[in-house]
Amino acid sequence: MDKVLDLARANSLWPVTFGLACCAIEMMSAAMSRFDIDRFGAGVFRPSPRQADLMIVSGTVTKKMAPVLLTLYDQMPSPKWVIAMGNCAISGGPFVFEGQYNLIEGVDKLIPVDVYVPGCPPRPEGLLEGFLKLEEKITGTRRFPGPVERW
Amino acid sequence: MVDKVQAELKSAFSDLTIHEESYPECGYHLSLDLAAGDLEKAARFFDDRRFYLAVELCVDYREYLEIVYIFSIHSSLCKVKVTLKIDPVNPVAPTLSKVFDCAWWYEREIHEFYGVRFDGHSDMTYLFLHDGIDVYPLRKEKVLVAEADRLELNSFSPEQREDSLSINMGPQHPSTHGVLRVVLRMDGEYIEDAYPVLGYLHRMQEKMAENRTYQQFLPNTGRMDYLGAMSYNLGYVTAVERLVGIDVPARAHYVRMIATELNRIASHLLWVGAYLADLGGLSPFLYAFDDRENLLDVLEAVTGSRLTYCYFRFGGLYNDVDDAFVAGTKAFVARMRGRFALYEKLVGGNVIFINRTRGIGVIERELARKCAVCGPVLRGAGIGMDFRKAEPYAAYAEMNFEIPTGRNGDALDMYHIRIREMETSLDIIDQSLARLSDGPFMVEKPPKKLKPRKGDLYHTVETPRGELGIYIVSDESDKPYRMKWRVPSFSNLMAFPELAKGNLLSDAVAILGSLDLVIPEIDR
Repeated sequence: MDKVLDLARANSLWPVTFGLACCAIEMMSAAMSRFDIDRFGAGVFRPSPRQADLMIVSGTVTKKMAPVLLTLYDQMPSPKWVIAMGNCAISGGPFVFEGQYNLIEGVDKLIPVDVYVPGCPPRPEGLLEGFLKLEEKITGTRRFPGPVERW
Repeated sequence: MVDKVQAELKSAFSDLTIHEESYPECGYHLSLDLAAGDLEKAARFFDDRRFYLAVELCVDYREYLEIVYIFSIHSSLCKVKVTLKIDPVNPVAPTLSKVFDCAWWYEREIHEFYGVRFDGHSDMTYLFLHDGIDVYPLRKEKVLVAEADRLELNSFSPEQREDSLSINMGPQHPSTHGVLRVVLRMDGEYIEDAYPVLGYLHRMQEKMAENRTYQQFLPNTGRMDYLGAMSYNLGYVTAVERLVGIDVPARAHYVRMIATELNRIASHLLWVGAYLADLGGLSPFLYAFDDRENLLDVLEAVTGSRLTYCYFRFGGLYNDVDDAFVAGTKAFVARMRGRFALYEKLVGGNVIFINRTRGIGVIERELARKCAVCGPVLRGAGIGMDFRKAEPYAAYAEMNFEIPTGRNGDALDMYHIRIREMETSLDIIDQSLARLSDGPFMVEKPPKKLKPRKGDLYHTVETPRGELGIYIVSDESDKPYRMKWRVPSFSNLMAFPELAKGNLLSDAVAILGSLDLVIPEIDR
């Protein structure tokens, strides 16, 4: 029974509309006709976190934004997953320097992250690969053969 | 104009010396250093002559703090720098917020980053920073937040009144395109007052600029305004080239203009899509992104990125364009020219869209000047001001293009202006392609280490959103001493509370969208 539920969950990930910075534009591109995130059942962007089960943290998380992000995450019903999109959400990215006063260096300091998608910003294909990785994590099997590792 | 202002200034302030500055070097014509008592008189002097306050900023020179006001005028080219020196230990300055609306915002910014208190300012609560901050970030020495200011850290709480209701819009709201937060005080369905709360994406760009060399800071510019990254790149490289004195080869100028105008079209296309999506029509979004993807392929082939470009270098370009780029650009221009009819059919002539946007968010000329509104919003108010014409940089002086202006200043006008601006961008691309000749794309000896002259520079360029001003203070080292970004979205946002007053809640989204705000640019 769990397997069936997992399969259903993996094929209908509903992300919350939560654009933070530059990466949000690439997230929008991924949802548009060229990259078409709907192919993986993940195109239903929900404005309310209560209807969503996936949060794509697409951009820099500042100290002022952190409480808002936590509230949103808490409002999402379980089971829920998080994709950290872009270098800022992974580690602070290009905005980390000695003496910085306003940045959370990586969203994994606040909430558990399932998939990291690097790039500044990642290409939409990168985000799609992130979705496939997340599906693999949920169901244990991969939808398509993965990319060939060349190095 | 400059001579006239200088003569009038002399008669108004007989005991002050007015310095004539070299405009090509500094970016302003006149400068004067005032005492605190004369400041309001000077502001009224400029206000009477229809000047606007382009920017107000602060520089920490250790021995003293200097507050810099740049006054500019729409009708001609005349810029005046007014400075006020204040004591760093107990910094107090008079406010200009009673004369110019935009000063109210800039003074709050200076207060939280430098700890300067402004006498007579109505609200000194923190605008950008989070409530755990314990220092003034942009001071050169570590200065702890004063006890009085500590009370104002995040002391913002919407005033609760019996006959009105406060509604919080954002920071996570689908139509604010990012993390803008606006608190609206409502009387039934009507907005009584709007109060923007900023800083949810403050990424310390100005602090970083002081910590990095000129070259190292270059990639940051593309991340400030991610939709108009090329314009920011261009503004920054032209500013530093002007400061150091580098002459760029002609080919580089034309390629820069082509890339920037392509990026401007991409930005406006995204605006058309996102704005219509805010208003409830999703299909234009798909059409606009289709065009945009076509364009991004052309740009990606030479720049290597889709969004946060870093293509220009001091002295030229990162790499040369090839025939494929020229062919691709020509194909895109031809395709795009044919698409405007489709947009007209889909959006411009759509009666739902027209009725939704006509007559709302009407921006008056006086409000536009007081808030230093810029770009398409200013042109919507009927003031045909475009820095590509007013202060030509790159090779815009050679280009022949018109500046579209609106008649009513409402949200519908903003749409038409942006569509027509895409057409003028296509014209500029055509002309640049025709002039593109063989030759070097980089100066012969690109500078390894930049050591600009001592002094300051205020350089303006036109981004898709309007006037971008870069104020650089150099102390002859390879790092900027101070770099202030006067950003167009911030000053356009300043007009929002006034525009929203008395409108329906559902129109607030339409008005906010028509301003085309990019949040990381406001928060920097």
